[in-house]
Amino acid sequence: MKQTHKPINRYSKWQYIVIIFTLIILGLNALPNWFGEKAAIHIQSSSTKVATLDSSNLYNLLSEQGIDVEFIEQKNNQSVVLLQNESQQQNARDILDSVLGDNYSVAMAMESASPSWLKKMGAKPVKLGLDLRGGVQFVMEVDTDAAIAEREAKIKEDLSQLLREFKAHGSRIGTLQDGSTVLRYPERVDNQISQVMEELSTLYPELSQVKNSNREIVIGANEQFAQTHHQELMRQNITTMRDRIEALGITEAVVQRQGSNFIRIELPGVQDPSQARRIIGATASLDFHQLQAQGGSLYKSNSGEMVRLNNSPILSGTHITDARSQFGEMGLPEVFITLDSAGGKLMSDFTKDNIGKPMATLYSEYLQNEEGELEKNSKVISVATIQAHLGSRFTISGMESVQATQDLAMLLKSGSLTAPVTIVEERTLGPSLGEQNINNGMAAIMLGLGMMLVFMALWYRKLGLIANVALILNVVCLLGLLSLVPGAVLTLPGIAGFVLTIGMAIDTNVLIFERIKEELKRGKSTALAIHHGYKNALSTIMDANITSLIIALILFSVGYGPIKGFAITLGFGILSSMFTGIYVSRALVNTFITKLPEPKKK
Amino acid sequence: MKTPKTGFTLARYIGFYSSLVFILLSLLTMQLKGFNFAVDFTGGVITEIQTDQPVNEQQLQTALTSVIKEPFTLINVGSDLQWSIRQGISSEKMPETSLLMESISADFSINVLSASVIGPQVGDELFEAGALAIIASLVAMLIYLSLRFEWRLASGSVVALFHDIIIVLGVFSLLQIEFDLTVLAALLAVIGYSLNDSIVIADRIREMLRTKMKGSLNGIINKAILSTLTRTLITSGTTLGTVSAIWLLAGQPLEGFSIALFVGILVGTFSSVCISATVPELLNLKREHYQIEEKPEGVESYN
Repeated sequence: MKQTHKPINRYSKWQYIVIIFTLIILGLNALPNWFGEKAAIHIQSSSTKVATLDSSNLYNLLSEQGIDVEFIEQKNNQSVVLLQNESQQQNARDILDSVLGDNYSVAMAMESASPSWLKKMGAKPVKLGLDLRGGVQFVMEVDTDAAIAEREAKIKEDLSQLLREFKAHGSRIGTLQDGSTVLRYPERVDNQISQVMEELSTLYPELSQVKNSNREIVIGANEQFAQTHHQELMRQNITTMRDRIEALGITEAVVQRQGSNFIRIELPGVQDPSQARRIIGATASLDFHQLQAQGGSLYKSNSGEMVRLNNSPILSGTHITDARSQFGEMGLPEVFITLDSAGGKLMSDFTKDNIGKPMATLYSEYLQNEEGELEKNSKVISVATIQAHLGSRFTISGMESVQATQDLAMLLKSGSLTAPVTIVEERTLGPSLGEQNINNGMAAIMLGLGMMLVFMALWYRKLGLIANVALILNVVCLLGLLSLVPGAVLTLPGIAGFVLTIGMAIDTNVLIFERIKEELKRGKSTALAIHHGYKNALSTIMDANITSLIIALILFSVGYGPIKGFAITLGFGILSSMFTGIYVSRALVNTFITKLPEPKKK
Repeated sequence: MKTPKTGFTLARYIGFYSSLVFILLSLLTMQLKGFNFAVDFTGGVITEIQTDQPVNEQQLQTALTSVIKEPFTLINVGSDLQWSIRQGISSEKMPETSLLMESISADFSINVLSASVIGPQVGDELFEAGALAIIASLVAMLIYLSLRFEWRLASGSVVALFHDIIIVLGVFSLLQIEFDLTVLAALLAVIGYSLNDSIVIADRIREMLRTKMKGSLNGIINKAILSTLTRTLITSGTTLGTVSAIWLLAGQPLEGFSIALFVGILVGTFSSVCISATVPELLNLKREHYQIEEKPEGVESYN
């Protein structure tokens, strides 16, 4: 071996600094897990006009209902109520929600129970998955096929109306085997047909039109459009679900896509699935209404005032084919809407006589009530003034922000395109089961860790003690990493991954120490044996860990919920075990074993 | 290589050929018995309950039959207090088994711990995703191996890898252990672990071939295996130890997971010794395949 000028078995100062710095950061982030979390209720006043709540009133109110309050904290216009007992959380929220009324939003949350200096540093305990905390989980199927079929039916309807309008007599609309629409027509209406097709392509720019020689045109959505359409439907549904869950007052819900057609919803802390099921399973619709002075019905608008609307809508949202937010001529945000031909006609007829008058957009949801009957829940999401005679394409302006136009565009589109959703999976995990899982998991970690510590100390003696320090630091680092990384969730399989990593982390040090023993047998000095032991084992360690890391990555990208939790702890476990097993253990070896005067080397 | 095999080599070859037999047996079992897929994949209704005092299966069965109309199976999970009620999914309406528990009249009280209703649609897609994950992992491993090792040495690890997966699946099929999502995750972990073990030996063989050590290939392979044997046994032992801790203490939800890992690590250790180095030998691995000039960036490149 060639000898460089660098002394062996020495880390430079900056290497020690990096190691110590990393350990401190991860250690501080791991610390809040020691203190745990408490169930809390967040009360936010919806506008600044509403008076802030009096803490002692809140305390009395809850105590009367038999709810044990730990303490109440006031920050700006938010009150945080910490509860002693997590099982009372749902109950407390319902009580506060009914007493405080519409002016406050009441949400369930978890608050870290660590001392305030730790909280100020932003350190939070690791998020627990549903299987450890209890809660409700839904998987819903989005029937995009139904939405796409509905859209195709509408295209045909529009097409036949256009054929009538342009008097292209003798044309027939059919369906090909692959599902695309075919239009067959006699030669004499050639001119009319080209007008019809032109009009159709302005209504549905994404449709392809292929003209065959024998008097027929094949109209079909291209594959790419079908794909983006599907993605859009999923995105809209996920957004709608998020909004609805927010309305339920659950702040830590997880709404994510699962596979191609499913949405996974996790509601931690929720005990009774029936309320959530009603709201999540609702369907929405959208209508445009005329405002009127008397009669009709009163609705609450998004700005808080009441609006009186005519009972029969000008047109319903099912006529909307597209809606997108954009910037108008004056640079102000607006929503650009495209209607189908029937809708365009309705809109044109109405606006011709009503320029300068306001028009309201009404958003309605059909929810299932306790008895299982459908209940309509409506609100006005925008009131805009009609500026001109409108056709099938127009803009709605007067929105207060870009965000508002984006939301409206999304709602309009989902109002028209929403694919039906059905709940295909529902799991309720009681909090006692979660607690039991945590206790079992902790016991498994303790036993696994204990066995490793005893074995290493007995087998490798002095080096074993160093490996044990590295192993304990590994556990701390892993916990710190899990708490630090946003989106990391600890689940029961995650705990299993934790225990597994402890067993595998040992491997790094075993590989190194066995190498060192071999080198010593060959008659090398302790210092040289350590130097070569670490050096020669490194490539093997890398090989072994990189393969496991690849597996963790694949598992992360494919798995859901608990399995994702396993992938996360496995992946982070490998990273932290490489850090502690190679670098920290080397630093310890350098400091405590080879620092002893070694006459041969200097 | 027609010389009579003796000692360690003989043991290695006996192990190799018997593992081929085990692979065939596992494949046969899977073909005949199939798998006992959990509701994660098939869909169904699971209600987990806890009684306030120990009851026997008969008592509980009678009490439950009075309220649950559909056929169900009752499984004891942990002590005589926790039970799992499983039902198939009925097409029309999801039965609210958890609500029925309140109407039971018995001299013990029942507390619902969890209630799950899983539609069959989700399972199909999860199954596809799971199969995809396994295939993607195998492909990724093949790519990694082919980058790091010459093909003869790499194929040894690959055969060992397939051996481990097939045997674990065979055990699950033979004993009809419930195959749920966590088992799938454990299978992937086994893939990583199996490779880990084989790579350590392959690394050592390569290193020894490069240093132009004297002796036959057979001798070098034996030496590589024996010199890493302590490590192999310690790591397998510690990992088996931690997996047993999960098996013993983490309870019923992780039972399938720990069995899969336990079996996977056992057969993984066996295959890394008997298969991963024997296959390259059969494929005629030669010293010339690993000369330094062929791969100048070898082992020393890390650091």
